[in-house]
Amino acid sequence: MPSDIPAHARERLKGLRSSVSSTGVFTSDFSVNEFLLVRKAGFEPIGLCVGTCVYHVGIQYGSWSKNQELEVLSKAMYHARELAMSRMRAEATAMGADGIVGVKLTIKRLEWDEHLLEFIAIGTGVVHGEGHKGFRAHDGGPFTSDLTGQDFWSLLHSGYRPVEMVMGSCVYHVAHRGVISGLASAGRNVELENFTSAMYEAREIAIERMQVEAAAAKAEGVVGVDMHEGSHGWQTHVIEFFAIGTAVLPLAQEIAPEKIADPIMVLSVND
Amino acid sequence: MSLFDLFKPRSPEAQAQAQAQQAASAQRQADITESLHTGAVPAATRARLEGARNGRLPWMATLTPAELMVARTHGLKPIASISATCWMHYGWSWTEGHSQGWEKALWRLREEAKAAGANAVVDVKMRTVPLAIEASMDFTLVGTAVRVDGLPPSSDPIVATVPMLEFTKLLEADVVPTGIAVGAHYEWMTDWRGMARQTWMGNSESQVLSQFWETVRQQAHAGLRQSARAQGNGVLAHVNFSQMFEREGKDKQPKQYLGRHIVIATTVDARRGLPFPHEIKMVVDLHAGATPLTGTQRHHQSYASNDAEGAI
Repeated sequence: MPSDIPAHARERLKGLRSSVSSTGVFTSDFSVNEFLLVRKAGFEPIGLCVGTCVYHVGIQYGSWSKNQELEVLSKAMYHARELAMSRMRAEATAMGADGIVGVKLTIKRLEWDEHLLEFIAIGTGVVHGEGHKGFRAHDGGPFTSDLTGQDFWSLLHSGYRPVEMVMGSCVYHVAHRGVISGLASAGRNVELENFTSAMYEAREIAIERMQVEAAAAKAEGVVGVDMHEGSHGWQTHVIEFFAIGTAVLPLAQEIAPEKIADPIMVLSVND
Repeated sequence: MSLFDLFKPRSPEAQAQAQAQQAASAQRQADITESLHTGAVPAATRARLEGARNGRLPWMATLTPAELMVARTHGLKPIASISATCWMHYGWSWTEGHSQGWEKALWRLREEAKAAGANAVVDVKMRTVPLAIEASMDFTLVGTAVRVDGLPPSSDPIVATVPMLEFTKLLEADVVPTGIAVGAHYEWMTDWRGMARQTWMGNSESQVLSQFWETVRQQAHAGLRQSARAQGNGVLAHVNFSQMFEREGKDKQPKQYLGRHIVIATTVDARRGLPFPHEIKMVVDLHAGATPLTGTQRHHQSYASNDAEGAI
């Protein structure tokens, strides 16, 4: 029997069960690697936190030939996500979590009504193993982050901690082109300047909103920023720009850059 | 043998042999059916497992050679690849049939593991044959029974749904993967007052549906914890499945909504406070492939077909 299997695990392999734990059952959707790394980082998972929201998205049409944000749709996407996220966070607060790791945010269209969208936010609530409260968000509640367990470990080891999952959304109507401008560009390569500027404006609005959220969370920066462009069953010419990332702050005990180990280069010979 | 051989009259010996084979098959079927009722391992399987257990038959493992190496360095010896099935018909509930089906299969897998004299079953995979036969489905588990050097056979073998490498990593961190827990719940909601119907054109949350959904999910998760409690003190969930449907009411009755949620998880028995003993070094693989150091998503998107709807 190799000595590297701890005694408790060895007992269980013999078929002996330890008495029922006093702490209750924790739930999480971590993979094995995530689970081990989150523990290695000094945290313990305590429970899955879920927030859902079924939302009826209002109706708004962009005027045919105008670039414009569709505020009704923007607000709907924003509000519904906010509701799902805040419910998830409320669950985490209720179970005494210091934070939520690996938040996944999904949108599903309910098949019987094109205006009904279901928003789900799900992540694993964690507590610091030694009861350190310094990892909580600025309002004393749990931090939120869409980083995986592996990224969470890496973030802490690069000297930062997650504060809040921040996002910005903008649903935008891109103007249709008039017949005359269509004719004028026939047979020529030309930039469609109003399309380009539509992209610029919509993207700018979404990013700006995300940055405002990060500033409100008193964060120093945002990591893992991702821009999505998507359409949730709207007319053509309507697109949602969605920016998402994790707002971060330096650790209370900052790690000097020279203390951070360089990654080792390897070349795997698989495949 | 050519096709015409089938039509040739067969020799008396061959006929007798065919009859004996049929009789043996019938006998085996009867024994399997009997075993399903008594909860025992079928005789033929038991004989095979006992042969592997005391070394009369060669061992069998679903492990790759690399996994075999990891098993050996941790004192684990494969005995036999084992399996268990329960084919369920959903008489009264599709949703809860899943919970019943997996639980039964899990119980049978443990019985096979005991017959093999194992301490653990590793690399356990959930399988279902793609035959949609009426309202039914098979719940099959396959895995490799292993023993730990120097330990007596277990009276309560653990079932680990993780591959060998992860199994040993978990053990070293004093986390024992013990089994599978299932939480399943469904509910019908009749919308008596038409609250779920939206007539207003503006943005609004459908609170009735949100709440209905919350209830279904919470019940499923309560079921998961209940199912896990008998096996360990935590779960790593890998399946989260949910669906909601609307049904028109008959004879001017109000609309009905069906919500169902299934969550399946690996249960673990974890000791707190004992971290993973290995030092972690960051490595970047120069081979092409996803790593957070070179980005985990497709780098250029311009010429890829559009992302599927549903992702955000």
